[in-house]
Amino acid sequence: MLVTTYRYLFLIVFVLFFSSCFQVIEEINVNKTGLGTVNLTLNLSASKAKVASLMLMDSIQGYKVPSKQTIQKEIDEIVSYLKKSDGITNVQKKIDFDNFIVSISFAFKDVANINTVNQNVLKKLKIKGLSNASYAYESKTQTFQRSYQYTKAAVLEYNKLKPEVKNVFKDASYTSIYRFEQLITSSNNPLAKISKSKKAIMINTGILGLINGKTDISNRITLSK
Amino acid sequence: MNSLYKCLVALVFASITLSSSAQDLVNKIPSDALAVATIKGKNFTDLMSLKEFNNTFIGKEILSKLSKGTDKVVNSVENLGFDLSSSLYYYNLSNDSVSYNCFLAPVKNAEQLEALYVQANQKFTVKNGIKSYYNSDSTEVAHWNDKFLLFVIGSGKSSYFARPEVVERFKLSQATSGGQAADSLSIAVPVQDEIAVDSTMAVDSLEEVMADTIGYDYGNTFFKDEQKKKTVVAGWVQLMVDDFFTDPNTTSILNNKDFVKSIDEQAEATIWIAGADKLFNTYMPSTYLKGMSFLNGYGSANAKLFLEDKSIRISTSMAFSDEIAGVFKKVLKRKLNKRFLKYINEDKAIGYLAYAMDTKAYLEQYPKLMSKIYGSVYADEIGMAADLFSLLLDEEAISKVVKGDGLFLFNGLSQKEVSYKSMDYNEENFESKEVTKTKKETLPDFLFMMSSEDTRLIDKLIAYGVKKELVKNSSGYYELSVPKSPLALYFMIKEGIIFFGTNKKDMEDIAGNRYVANVSRKHRKALMNTNYAGYFSAKKLFGKIPVEEFASTKKLEKLNNVLNSMGDIYLKSNPVKGNVYSGEINIDIPSNQQNALKYLFSLVEDAQK
Repeated sequence: MLVTTYRYLFLIVFVLFFSSCFQVIEEINVNKTGLGTVNLTLNLSASKAKVASLMLMDSIQGYKVPSKQTIQKEIDEIVSYLKKSDGITNVQKKIDFDNFIVSISFAFKDVANINTVNQNVLKKLKIKGLSNASYAYESKTQTFQRSYQYTKAAVLEYNKLKPEVKNVFKDASYTSIYRFEQLITSSNNPLAKISKSKKAIMINTGILGLINGKTDISNRITLSK
Repeated sequence: MNSLYKCLVALVFASITLSSSAQDLVNKIPSDALAVATIKGKNFTDLMSLKEFNNTFIGKEILSKLSKGTDKVVNSVENLGFDLSSSLYYYNLSNDSVSYNCFLAPVKNAEQLEALYVQANQKFTVKNGIKSYYNSDSTEVAHWNDKFLLFVIGSGKSSYFARPEVVERFKLSQATSGGQAADSLSIAVPVQDEIAVDSTMAVDSLEEVMADTIGYDYGNTFFKDEQKKKTVVAGWVQLMVDDFFTDPNTTSILNNKDFVKSIDEQAEATIWIAGADKLFNTYMPSTYLKGMSFLNGYGSANAKLFLEDKSIRISTSMAFSDEIAGVFKKVLKRKLNKRFLKYINEDKAIGYLAYAMDTKAYLEQYPKLMSKIYGSVYADEIGMAADLFSLLLDEEAISKVVKGDGLFLFNGLSQKEVSYKSMDYNEENFESKEVTKTKKETLPDFLFMMSSEDTRLIDKLIAYGVKKELVKNSSGYYELSVPKSPLALYFMIKEGIIFFGTNKKDMEDIAGNRYVANVSRKHRKALMNTNYAGYFSAKKLFGKIPVEEFASTKKLEKLNNVLNSMGDIYLKSNPVKGNVYSGEINIDIPSNQQNALKYLFSLVEDAQK
């Protein structure tokens, strides 16, 4: 009995004191013909102490804490789904349980392939409110379009969370990087930053802004012909 | 109806200093009440005048809510019509079929009270000098005369209405009474506005009333059943209230010695429970826990609130049967290890929790406690399990390893640099690269001690840990490696004490006999004279919370101000006296506050700023 009590006492200490935040990184490389690769990363390393202590519990404040095996299984399911998807090849995953970094990468034949898998993966993960992004590449006009439309669903889901959980999103960040073979001539999102080589473009912003609709990450990128 | 609730809420918070000659209503509470709560109006008004109360945040809120929707502004709680200088009571009466929650309040000016109903457009009736108000389904009833008001909320018990003979008697449908339906009958049911429950109605005529309501079609049998049950309950409530006003010969709670003993003139509020076991059995679904009694042997209990000049004090006590009290006496005969005091430094200790019980006695008594709970149903099985328990465990040997006392010291907060992985991007083409960064984590600083006479097993565990590289041997103490945690954990065994802590320097000092202790007489007494002791000083956390933990310095400043204005908190248990086990919580109030009540109100005002 005492052992359980102490175990919980320590866990409470961990949960109360350790800070938490995370990074979501989306990298897309597109070549002239519209072929390319995607790399998605979720990095919880900055909160690893908290995540590690949370994972010792079955559930916390009513939320079920997934086990290592569950996380592994979910990712494996995504990978096998991707492998079966049209136009998707070279699917790879990387799970680092020491630092809590998960990444999935794959190659696509056509930018449109990403849209289909995106929708389905989000659906699979039961993530609401984010499935309204799409990508388009037109080789004729040499434009890459990242559409994003804010929906209230995200903030509604967010508002349902308990204040302690909301805190996790406070310092969380979202980074998108698109790299091309051609030079970038223009982009219509003021948040976007173009690299020295002029072949890559990045948006780095807080996740909270995306949830409450204050940040727009849509972008129309024109490339040199 | 809301206005009545509001009045009662207002009563809880305030009282007036006018007439103190008002009669005490306690003798009207029947002797079979399961629980009684008393609020001593006079004690409150001695601490804060009505005028002062009206100007507090809570006072203003209550008055504005009372005035809402009426054409007349209520500008003082004095105008509610209650005698706020007398005591206000809540009590509960229960039997197998119904539970009555009753509020009993002294009336000073019935006209003012009635004016409130009129203002809120609520109808009340008058009969033989008694005014009556009913809610829409008559399960809530208020009756008053010019001396007192009785407000009763009746709720039927689902277990009762699930009984086959009851289902039959009240013509309930089988489906809902099978037990799947609601536990309480508080679900809103559309009913005709005023069910005229005749006050002379007897139980026998209940069925007739029901017959009237059967004609209503509410769409499904569930709501029909609820309606029928509510009608039955309404009839019982009516009988109960009528009895209260017409039968002055009911045996009063003042005949209950235990209740009388719990009365404390100094207490601002008191809660008395006739029997923890009775209350438990009343509210627990008997169908699921048949024959088990978790509180078997637990007797009457009380809690008292004292708002004093220098502190807020809550005292609690509970009586036990001879058998259970005997168990407590045996288990609690141990005192805290005196040597723990050598490792307390009051200058840095922000709080502590200490306990002392006898492991051997606990293990020996455990089977007895279990048989009290499950005995009546599983007597044979429990008997065998108890024997097996004693056979397998060597109580004596275990009690030497874990004697049963411990002290948890919270020594503040410290910061530690931790590393983590992050992504960096080059300027050239935003190529990503994993880099290691550092940040500061705020960690608690604590020291835990427990007594052990026989450390052979622990020594072996340590040796095993060292071999497996889970434990690192430093000079005189060990370091436990906790994967991914920035919190270092150290431990050692010395002079029959197992130490477990987060502060390396403390460990070095303890190992090297250099630890500087500092314990005042007050804390020494608090720790050594009780079985359970606790202390927390929010004030000592003032200025110790790092800015990094807060998004803005303004927020931190606010928190620091709150911490600084909070008094020290003490917890303690008293030795078992007779068959009574008691405890106390004491919260000091800041010296610039006049009294505890005003301090509580000031906390509410501060929180609004």
